[in-house]
Amino acid sequence: MIKKIIFSIVTILVFNLSFAQKGDKKLDRSIRPVAAPAPGIKLGDIQSFELPNGLKVFVVENHKQATVAYSIALDFTSALENDAVGTADMTSELITSGTKNRTKDQLDSDIDFIGATLSANPKGLYAASLKKQQTKLLELMADVLLNPNFKQEELDKIKTQTLSGLAQGKDDPDAISSNVKAVLNYSAKHPYGELTTEESVSKITLEKCNAYYQTYFRPNVAYMAIVGDVTLAEIKPLIEKYFGAWQKADVPNANYEMPTAPAKTRVAVVNKAGAVQSVINVTYPVDLKLNSEDAIKAKVMNTILGAGFSSRLFVNLREKHGYTYGSYSSLNNDELVSEFNAYAKVRNAVTDSSVIEIMGELNRLRTEKVPQDELDGIKNYLTGNFAISLEDPAMIARFAINTQLYKLPKDYYTNYLKNLAAVTADDVYAMAQKYIRPENATILVVGDKEELSKKLAPFSATKNIEFYDIYGKPVAAEAKPIPAGVTAKIVVADYVKAVGGAKAIMKVKDVSTKMNTKFQGMDISITTSQKAPNKYAMAVKMGEMVIQKEAYDGKIGKQQSMQGKKDLSGESLDDIKAQAILNPEMNYEKLGYKLNLKGIEAVNGKDAYIMEVVSPKGKKSTEWYDVESKLKVRTSQTVTTEVGPIVNTTDIWEYKEVDGVKFPSVISISGAMSMKLTAESINVNKGVADSEFTIQ
Amino acid sequence: MKLNSILLSCFLLGCAVLSAQPVKPGNVKFTQYDLSNGMHVILHEDHSTPIVAVTVLYHVGSKNEDPQRTGFAHFFEHLMFEGSDNIKRGEYMKLIQNAGGVMNANTSFDRTFYFEILPSNQLELGLWMEAERMLQLKVDSVGVETQRKVVKEELKQRNENTPYGSILNEAFGHAYTTHPYRWTPGGSPEYINQAALSEFIDFYKTFYVPNNATLSIAGDINIAQTKILIEKYYGSIPKGTKAIPRPTAVEPVKTAEVRDTVYDNIQLPAVVMGYHTPAQGTPDYYAMSMLATVLSQGKSSRMQKAIVDKQQKAVFAGAFPLPSEDPGLTLVFGVANMGVPPTDLEASMNAEFEKVKTELISEEEYQKLRNQTENDFVSGNLKMAGIAENLANYYVYYKDANLINTEINRYLKVTREDIQKAAQKYLNKENRVVLYYLPKQ
Repeated sequence: MIKKIIFSIVTILVFNLSFAQKGDKKLDRSIRPVAAPAPGIKLGDIQSFELPNGLKVFVVENHKQATVAYSIALDFTSALENDAVGTADMTSELITSGTKNRTKDQLDSDIDFIGATLSANPKGLYAASLKKQQTKLLELMADVLLNPNFKQEELDKIKTQTLSGLAQGKDDPDAISSNVKAVLNYSAKHPYGELTTEESVSKITLEKCNAYYQTYFRPNVAYMAIVGDVTLAEIKPLIEKYFGAWQKADVPNANYEMPTAPAKTRVAVVNKAGAVQSVINVTYPVDLKLNSEDAIKAKVMNTILGAGFSSRLFVNLREKHGYTYGSYSSLNNDELVSEFNAYAKVRNAVTDSSVIEIMGELNRLRTEKVPQDELDGIKNYLTGNFAISLEDPAMIARFAINTQLYKLPKDYYTNYLKNLAAVTADDVYAMAQKYIRPENATILVVGDKEELSKKLAPFSATKNIEFYDIYGKPVAAEAKPIPAGVTAKIVVADYVKAVGGAKAIMKVKDVSTKMNTKFQGMDISITTSQKAPNKYAMAVKMGEMVIQKEAYDGKIGKQQSMQGKKDLSGESLDDIKAQAILNPEMNYEKLGYKLNLKGIEAVNGKDAYIMEVVSPKGKKSTEWYDVESKLKVRTSQTVTTEVGPIVNTTDIWEYKEVDGVKFPSVISISGAMSMKLTAESINVNKGVADSEFTIQ
Repeated sequence: MKLNSILLSCFLLGCAVLSAQPVKPGNVKFTQYDLSNGMHVILHEDHSTPIVAVTVLYHVGSKNEDPQRTGFAHFFEHLMFEGSDNIKRGEYMKLIQNAGGVMNANTSFDRTFYFEILPSNQLELGLWMEAERMLQLKVDSVGVETQRKVVKEELKQRNENTPYGSILNEAFGHAYTTHPYRWTPGGSPEYINQAALSEFIDFYKTFYVPNNATLSIAGDINIAQTKILIEKYYGSIPKGTKAIPRPTAVEPVKTAEVRDTVYDNIQLPAVVMGYHTPAQGTPDYYAMSMLATVLSQGKSSRMQKAIVDKQQKAVFAGAFPLPSEDPGLTLVFGVANMGVPPTDLEASMNAEFEKVKTELISEEEYQKLRNQTENDFVSGNLKMAGIAENLANYYVYYKDANLINTEINRYLKVTREDIQKAAQKYLNKENRVVLYYLPKQ
């Protein structure tokens, strides 16, 4: 009791004290602080020298920390890689995979031993360490650069890793977007539109890598930046010692036509079934170089639109509508060709609303002059960012190299803030007219096609959607019309005839098929058994272990998996019941199925009739029948699983005839992964035991 | 506002914190003191660039949440940008940006961190704004509704639409039964949906108080002037009156391995292991951290050399101790190369663990390890925002901000034998969770 009283007194005291404090100060918090006078922003000093072989070196001294970093940038325009796309990337991997003096193992441990970083890229090299290790680091860097020793076994390893990386990218919506965007904006005739694929990897050889290295890794096109705890006097002799022997040679520069934007707005969709978000890119190529008069003004314009947390896109799509975690735009400055892109990742249901908002913001920039206070704010932001970027001493070196690479006026960076301050609302308006072109944009969306198609068509000038695969290759999606006189009934009747005719089919009383595949290095077999009229079983085995089994004995459906056994009910039971009917095509009508012939589209390159099959319970699936052979070539249905609805698609590649009836013998199942299965045995009327159709 | 890829930020933090070599103490000078309301202040003066980082660390993370309200700490990180009595909705980010600054925030298991980097003449603006949201944040239904949607998209983007995005959730979810590390800062969106406005206000009044905050400032400042400004804006913010809940649950010692399979939208299977590891700052934590460097830092490290390069079983393999205030996890994971079954990859990983348990690392490897950690340590404190954050972390977690200069000594004490002992003590089956990530279907 006493404790309680003391406690409440203390609380009152604390409360009064803080109240009194607040009252005493009388701070009016509604008065916003006024900025102190702006600090001077000074660019750090830079020194430079050139070696007789043409290597240009820039030194930025920074003695805050006992570290030093070296970076080399190579200035050239490479030739197309054509069928061997990925050669440049692999060359840069090979450069750090062993030298004439060190095996890969030795090189790796020498770099790690001094706690250093050393990496190469297709257009340069980067290395960093503590200052006290710099001599060793320079020795390693020069060894890698001047004496690389490309070995087949290392190339093979890199290829394996690259193939795995490609497989990984197939499920990454951002990787897919970036690939397809590159192809659509630049085309495959431009180096920026070339994509590394499984096929191109197989064409890369040691000779091609060697040629790339020999052609482009030359000192006369190289700029080296040295940043850190060094002086010019101490570093110059070391650079001469280690890089003086680097041989110069003529480096060819390729020329490319400027890629062009689409004549009219188009909508491109890459289907990613089951995706929970759509990745939207509104994009097109532009011609905007860093040394253009427009560069700084256009940067201001793009920042208003979509850079940072108070840009129009971010405020609109995230803070106003809550469509996305973030929406941004970019407009870069590239010597060959630049790109405009407005981006957002949104939930499926608001994909079209998000496109409307993005297009609306692009149009607003073109039709309304930017208010002065918004412009001033953005200019402050860019000025502050410039100051913040100078915290990194490497920035000063980058400025020096950019001045050379992009042929900028010598005082470009010293005048940068002055030129930024001079940008007017009229300038921004003019930039928007020139570089914001919604009427020439590609609206690229990676997402679930089923959710997207109809909603997006209105944005396209032609009202059509173009569909692409994950590498930017067009895929047909629009169904062709059905020839006069062809009906669903005829297509099914033709199919029955094609597999052997009703008479032969009726003789099949039971069938058991065992199919095999390899998946992730494991042997998988799937055995399916059916017995007239409606018994069904399927077992999936990995090696000798059954990992999944389903069975339906005509009454009860059961399922067994790693998670245990269970009876099927509801939709899952309906699914297996439908599955259990032997040759349903014979009796679609009698069984109460409705058939709708939807059109013709290509399946694996050949035209096929699309037929929607609706079960008596109203469940839809789709089947494709080859126009020429009349055989069924694909089936697809949505099934309910623990992880949500999944679209299962099965392609039938080959049939095999047994006792006068054709059965599928090579099939592939697709979805998140694809699996091709080949029949090891197809047994017809060999008497499958009833016990096969139950799970004990 | 971005829940930085937690994994990455933990990993980065781990790097910044690593150290070694001849005791050459760092040279980050700072001043620190408490205000009468309990707020801790740390100031670091550096005039090399005319910028300043203004940061506030609130000692609240997902582990302080009610199990029925997970995701609150992170959701609050979003709400904190919604405005205050004197800052209108939507104005917070704009004011910083118009002043030439950048800002962001992130949430971990243990704390929430806010920062602005501004031109140094805008120091007072930053101080005023952080004080506004410490004293009188606007928590209303419009802001809550909008951020509910935004956070849902954020979690989708991070967890569902990103291959392997759920690794952290799954590892911690399987590893813990009792301690609140069993959920991650992302939490569950349904709890955020269920929560009433009053619950958000209550959370704010409990945790967002000066006595639970550390104001850490680094950059082009004058210490004396800055102290006056801090007193002006923060001196009159009342101390919190509610008790601040700190979890006391202790995760039981593990006696059996936990194993499970996770199906994800991926093409390459992955093996994810989580080994229970002592809390950050303990001698065994440093030993585990050094052990992880032996295993996976650099191309010559054990896992990279053996599993990625020689055996080509993985495209990636590494070990990462995730520093945390209470006992946490060392995450080990490998992404299988094409055609390599996860069982194979796991066998290779286990073989590497066996090796460090049975054989002492060589003198040469030990020296390499020290060189690597020294390099990481020296390179760690370059930028103002990083210095401000490290100072705040060291103060809040260890009550010793000077560890920014001296933590190196703790790593130095780790011997080859300590590393072997740590491997023997922690890299055991019963002390771990093993998850196979397999492609869906």
